[in-house]
Amino acid sequence: MRGKLTMRWLFVALIWAAVLAAGGAAAQAQPIRIVTTTPDLASLARAVTGDLAQVTSISDGHDDPHFLQAKPSYVLAARDADLWVRAGMELEVGWEPPLLSGARRPDLLPGGPRHLDASEKVLKLDIPTGPISRDMGDVHPLGNPHWWLDPINARLAAYALAQRLARLHPANAQAFEANLTAFEHRLDAAMFGPALVDKLGGNSLWSLELTGKLDAFLAEEGLDSQLGGWKARLASKRGAALVIYHKSWVYLTNRFGLRVAAELEPKPGIPPGAGHLTQVVRIMREQGVKVILLEPYYPRNAADLAASQTSARVLVLPNTCGGLAGGQDYLALLNLLVDRLAEAL
Amino acid sequence: MPRLLFSLVVAAGVALMAPVAMADQAEDLRREMDSLRQQMQAMQQGYETRLQQMQQKLDALGSKAAAAAPPASPSRESLAKLAGQGSAAPPPEGSTAWSQAVQKLNPDLSVILDTFYYNNDSKESSAHLLSGIKGFGDPHGHGEEGHTHGGNDKGFNLRHVELQLSAQVDPYFKGWATVAVDDEQAELEEAVIQTTALPYGLRLQAGKFFSGLGRLNSQHSHEWDFVDQPLNYRLLLGEHNLLDKGVQASWLAPLPFQLLFGLEAFQGDNETAFQYLGEDLPEKDGPRLWVGWLKYAPNLGGRHGLQLGASLARGVHQEAHDGDGDGVNDHFLDGHSTLYGLDAVYKFKGHGPHGQGDLVLQGEYLYRRKDLDLYRHDLRPELTGNERLDKQDGFYLQGVYGFLPRWRTGLRWDQVGLINEGHSPSGAAYDYDASNRFTAMLDFSPTEFSRIRVQGSRGSYVLDDGDQDFWEFFVQLQVALGTHGAHKF
Repeated sequence: MRGKLTMRWLFVALIWAAVLAAGGAAAQAQPIRIVTTTPDLASLARAVTGDLAQVTSISDGHDDPHFLQAKPSYVLAARDADLWVRAGMELEVGWEPPLLSGARRPDLLPGGPRHLDASEKVLKLDIPTGPISRDMGDVHPLGNPHWWLDPINARLAAYALAQRLARLHPANAQAFEANLTAFEHRLDAAMFGPALVDKLGGNSLWSLELTGKLDAFLAEEGLDSQLGGWKARLASKRGAALVIYHKSWVYLTNRFGLRVAAELEPKPGIPPGAGHLTQVVRIMREQGVKVILLEPYYPRNAADLAASQTSARVLVLPNTCGGLAGGQDYLALLNLLVDRLAEAL
Repeated sequence: MPRLLFSLVVAAGVALMAPVAMADQAEDLRREMDSLRQQMQAMQQGYETRLQQMQQKLDALGSKAAAAAPPASPSRESLAKLAGQGSAAPPPEGSTAWSQAVQKLNPDLSVILDTFYYNNDSKESSAHLLSGIKGFGDPHGHGEEGHTHGGNDKGFNLRHVELQLSAQVDPYFKGWATVAVDDEQAELEEAVIQTTALPYGLRLQAGKFFSGLGRLNSQHSHEWDFVDQPLNYRLLLGEHNLLDKGVQASWLAPLPFQLLFGLEAFQGDNETAFQYLGEDLPEKDGPRLWVGWLKYAPNLGGRHGLQLGASLARGVHQEAHDGDGDGVNDHFLDGHSTLYGLDAVYKFKGHGPHGQGDLVLQGEYLYRRKDLDLYRHDLRPELTGNERLDKQDGFYLQGVYGFLPRWRTGLRWDQVGLINEGHSPSGAAYDYDASNRFTAMLDFSPTEFSRIRVQGSRGSYVLDDGDQDFWEFFVQLQVALGTHGAHKF
C-alpha cells in the first residue's frame, strides 16, 4: 500500500519534470523575446533586432502610459521575456512593479541583467531643482518621463538597446550593430535631410545640434540650403507658441524650438478647472497661440472651450506609435507629428 | 684603285671640315640651353607663388575648420555625454532628488488614513446586527469580554491608520511590515519575509500575513471597492479575514496561461473559523491550519482581464461556551473546520482617462463546515463525545464602473446562509433562512492618493431576536501618504 502511494507520487513528479523540461527546451528554440512597456520602445527594439527577435509591447498606444492596470496576461508576457525594456523615470511606476514581481524572475527586476531602463542615456528635461511634494501634482523626481519624442533620445535608447542585446546575445552582436547603424542613418536622414547626412555624417550633425552650433556651422559653410528633414520642415516655426494638455510634449517642442505657452492642466495630472482655463485663454490671446495640442486619450472639452474663445485650433495627435493613427513605427510617428505641426503652426 | 683614292680624298675633306661644323652646332645648343634655363626659372617662380598662394589658402581653410568643424565623427558615447550635459538642471548634491536617491536605500514608508461617518436606522449597533445573524453565531460564546470590535459607532469612526514599511532586504529577500493603529490600540497586521530570487516560478514567504485564498482575503481594507467587507467574509472569516502566522509556498506553472498554486501552513489562530483554545481542551501544536489555493487566468489580450480561483482550508477548531449564562464556560468542543471557496474577477480597462469606462465584476462563494465533538460538558456530562455539525455558506457579487474620469459607482449583492443547517450535540437539528444585503456606492478620487466615498445599503437579516430590515449609511475619506505601491490585478 505504502509502496503504491510512493509510486504514484513519483509518477506525478516525473510528469511535472517532463512538463518543465519541455518548457525549457521550447524556450531555447524560440527567437529572442523582448517585452517593452510602450510601443515606441518596441519600435526601437524592432529596428535594432530586425528578424532576430519577437518584440511585444505592454501598452498598445491607446492609453495614457501612466495609468495602465496590471493584469495576468501582462505578468505572463513579463515571465516569458528575455529582455524587459521600460521608459523609466517613473512613467510606469503605477503598474510595472506588480508585473515584475508577479513574473517571479529576479533577472527582470530593476538592476537585473535582463532589465533595461531605456532612459539611462537620454537627455532629460524638467528635473526638479527644489523640494517637491504631491501638492505639485504628478511631478517626477527624476525629470519629465516623456523623453521619446526627442529624436536624439530615440537614437540613444536604440544604442542602449543594441549594447545590452550584444551583451546578452554576443553571437548576434554584429547584426545588432549593423541594424543600429542603419536605423541611425534613417533617423538622421529624416531629421536633417539625406544630403547633409551624406556630406557630414549623422554623429557630427547631432554633435552640432546638441551643442547648439548647427545653424551657425551650416550658415558659415553655405550649407543651409541643404538642410532637409524635420529640422527644415519646422525651421520657419521656431519660437511659435502652443498650448498643451499635459507636459508630455516638451521634448518635441524643445528639440524643434517651439515654445509652450501654457498647459491646460493646472498641475501635472490634475484636470483643468475653470479658473485655470481663464488664465490659459488670457495667455493665448496675449501670445497669439495658434494651436492647442493634446493626446487622444485626454478629454478635449477644455481644449475646445479655450479654442472657441481664441483663434486657436485644437490638434489631437498621438504621442506614441501604435494606438490611434500613431503610425506603426517611431519614424512614422515623428513624420506625422512634424507634418501636422508644420501645417498648423 | 681610283675608287680608293676618291674615298681617301673625301675622308680627308670630311676630316678637315668636321671641326668647323661641330663648332657651329655647339653654339646653337648653348643658346637653346640658356633660353630653356630662363624658361625654367620663370616657371619655377610661377609655381612658387602659386604654391605660396595655395599654402595661404590652406592655412586659412585649416584655421576655419579648427574653429567651426565638429570633431572628426564623434562616437555614440560622446553624443550620450552631450545629451547628459544637456539634461535640464542635473540635481545638485544635497537637493531633494539627490536625497530621494539616497532614501531608496531605506525602506519605503506609506501611511493610509481611513476615516468614516456611519449610521443606521436600527436600534442596534452594527456589531450586534452582525453577531446576531442566525447560524453564524459568535464562536466564543456569550459572556466573554473584549470581542466587541468590528462594530461601527454611529457617528464618526477612525478605521485605522495603516503604516507600512517595505524594502528589498538583499538580492534574495524582500520584507514588509504593516501596523494598523486605531485610537485604542496598535496591531501588527502583517510582517512578511518573501523570497525574490528563487528559480522556476517558485516563491516562499514567512511571517504573519493574509492568506492568498479567495480574492478579497489578501487585500488591505483600503483596496476594497466598498467601505465594509462582504457578509460572507465578515461572518465566516472575521473582521481581519484569514490573517495568521505561518509559511507559504507558491508556484507559477510554466504554461501559456496563468496557473498559480499556493500551499500555506498557519499556526491556526483565526478567532472565527479556526480557533485554538488549548485551555480545558486538548493541546495541539502548530501548524493547525492548512490552506491550498489555485488561481487560473487565461491569457486574454486587449483590455480584458479574468481570473478564477479555488481555495480549500482545513484546520483545528475549538469552542468554549457558557450554556447557563453564569459567566463560566461549561461546555467545550473540539474538532475541525473546513472552508471551500470559489472566486472570479473580470476587469475591463476603459478608453477614457482616469478610470473612465473601467469595469470590475467580482464574486466569491465561501462554504464552511464545522465538525466538532463535545469534549466536555460540565452541566450535561452524558452528551460528552457527541457530534456537533454546522454548515454555512455565503456569496457576494459586485460590479464597479467608472462613469466619468475619477468617478466610480458600484453595486453589491450579499447573501449568507443559503446553506445554514446543522445539529447540536444533543441531536437538535436546525435549518435557518438566509440573510441578505444590497449595497450601492459612489466614489470620487481627486488623485490616485485620495478618495471620498458615499455608500448606502439595505439589509434583511435573520437575527436571533427576530428578522430585521434596516438601512446603513457611510461617508468615507481615505488618503495615502508616502510611496504607495502599485496595486496587483
